[in-house]
Amino acid sequence: MLNMSFPLLNINGLSISFNTERGPLQVVSKISLTIRNAEVFGLVGESGCGKSLTALSILRILPNNAYTEGEIFFNNENLLSLPDDQMRKIRGKDISMVFQEPMTSLNPVLTIGYQIAEALRTHYKLSKGAAMDRTIDLLRAVKMPSAELRVKDYPHQLSGGMRQRVLIAMAISCNPALLIADEPTTALDVTVQAQILELLQELRRQRNMAIMLITHDLGIISEQAERVAIMYAGRIMEVADVDELFQNPLHPYTICLLESLPRAKGTALKPIPGFVPSPNQLPKGCKFSDRCRWATDESKSKEPELLEVSRNHYVRCINWNRIQRERF
Amino acid sequence: MEQNSERTLLVVESIKKYFSTKGGLFKPDKWLKAVDGVSFDVKNDSVFALVGESGCGKSTLARLILKLLFLTEGRILFKGEDISGMTGESLRRFRRSVQIVFQDPFASLNPRMRVIDTLSEPLRIHKLVARRETREKVVQLLEKVGLNQSILNKYPHEFSGGQRQRICIARALSVSPQLIVADEPLSALDVSIQAQILNLLQDLKKETAISLILISHDLNVVHYLSDEVAVMYLGKIVEKAKTEDMFRSPKHPYTELLLSSVPKINFRGHESRLASSKPTVKQGYDVSKPGSEPDSDAPSPLNIPPGCPFHPRCPKRFDVCDKVVPTLKVSGDSLVSCHLY
Repeated sequence: MLNMSFPLLNINGLSISFNTERGPLQVVSKISLTIRNAEVFGLVGESGCGKSLTALSILRILPNNAYTEGEIFFNNENLLSLPDDQMRKIRGKDISMVFQEPMTSLNPVLTIGYQIAEALRTHYKLSKGAAMDRTIDLLRAVKMPSAELRVKDYPHQLSGGMRQRVLIAMAISCNPALLIADEPTTALDVTVQAQILELLQELRRQRNMAIMLITHDLGIISEQAERVAIMYAGRIMEVADVDELFQNPLHPYTICLLESLPRAKGTALKPIPGFVPSPNQLPKGCKFSDRCRWATDESKSKEPELLEVSRNHYVRCINWNRIQRERF
Repeated sequence: MEQNSERTLLVVESIKKYFSTKGGLFKPDKWLKAVDGVSFDVKNDSVFALVGESGCGKSTLARLILKLLFLTEGRILFKGEDISGMTGESLRRFRRSVQIVFQDPFASLNPRMRVIDTLSEPLRIHKLVARRETREKVVQLLEKVGLNQSILNKYPHEFSGGQRQRICIARALSVSPQLIVADEPLSALDVSIQAQILNLLQDLKKETAISLILISHDLNVVHYLSDEVAVMYLGKIVEKAKTEDMFRSPKHPYTELLLSSVPKINFRGHESRLASSKPTVKQGYDVSKPGSEPDSDAPSPLNIPPGCPFHPRCPKRFDVCDKVVPTLKVSGDSLVSCHLY
């Protein structure tokens, strides 16, 4: 490790549970991960695996009936134990977020300029005029054409890609050290998606900002991220550098995901059998064991730990060694 | 297999569909040209894919083929018969021969109908099997799509997205159609489930003589499954070719843009992975230059640019592009609508 000081974000044993009528229901279980300065960290998983909840818990904007255990250190400060008013100073300033749906995350009755300026005025106590000047600069930074006219537009006057640019402008307005992007391009067409991803990379380089990129698209991860965590059923199954993950996947879930993607034409795909279990019906041992073709009695009865099997490569599987030998 | 004598199943001849949008008190009504002069044909036992961005008219086209919408102009021939003239018994036969699978399996199953009701309704309406044999036929259909009879009495809410999509496919298959239109059949499903449905479609393609019109924005899926592809842009086909040819050497700049925009997994790992060295997507306009009408997204079909509709975004445009509308021309093995060819 070159950086001997603490990482930018360090999640340590984070669990998220919901209070339900039938008692507490744990949906994210003991997640640990670190995000370094200015890196793009990819968080991959299918819907319902807890990746968005993890993101929301960092900003402490989980629904009211959810509670967290564990620690989230940001700049060596535990976010989960900060008083509310201090958290408010971090939220939207040092850590900010871009959501999936650019339509639903903008207020339809306010101009986009007002909405972007709001964060600046709150965090920097800028005057209206000064905030508006900064807003125009921000819109230029996200490549919004004719920015000085567009500030007065309402969200419905913009296309999906332009709205996502507005959200990004809002998120970077206070120069955050960490930007959480939760499926930022899922609602967009491929050509627009490519532009938005390129924009995020450019902003990251200019502003030295780390990005936590949440997606289900392994292609996006391969092109954009430096480190990747694969989540399944509220657990992290594998963490590795991106090249390592795609060249040498070790967890059965990662292997199966990669095998299930269409590649050579006409050859049968290898789909993952079954479906993602709901959080109250998880198998007893390894949470993937009911769909895993390498499952053993041991992995079905006892949940494995996330172990570092080679430098910076973590896997939650007791059979990884055997599987690797069998595959090659 | 009984249709081997005719090679083309469906012929679409320069069809147009315009929707009128109400103007204001002093504004004239406008026409939204959703589909604007599209022609293609679908051969027996083949997969024809339509790709394009949202708003390009591909779903409207699907509904026109199913006669769920009426044509403004042009004609569609199914097995040589014009579908707009069909009534009574011939329409009934047509409805049986052409089926659709929708994008969202959560919205396209009746929540109050059990699986057996959903699947036996088309059998009953088209009087395909005797009442006593209905159950047996439904079980066969379920087995064809990889489900078993234990679910017969369940309701849609008890299933996951992938299972629901299987039920929708079983329902489409129940009347033994000759053509299935699949409108984004995978996009509502999780990655690990998509492969299951894709395999199912692939098996159906192999085992039965059904033709498929696959509408998708996922180019990997299109490449994997289809025999022929048409790329649509603002209501028009801009390129049509054999799937292999198009993915090997795309001709139209828009097709090139689409293909280069798809994020690809790099299994070998090298330095060019990061976006910095990825071939950049040409935006086709200069932000700093005032006056260049600047939109990186597709223009609205209400306001189609003059000349080639793609010219504002096109990196290869030259002087005629904003003046003359290109037509679909033969170029090598494909059809392209671009002044470059």
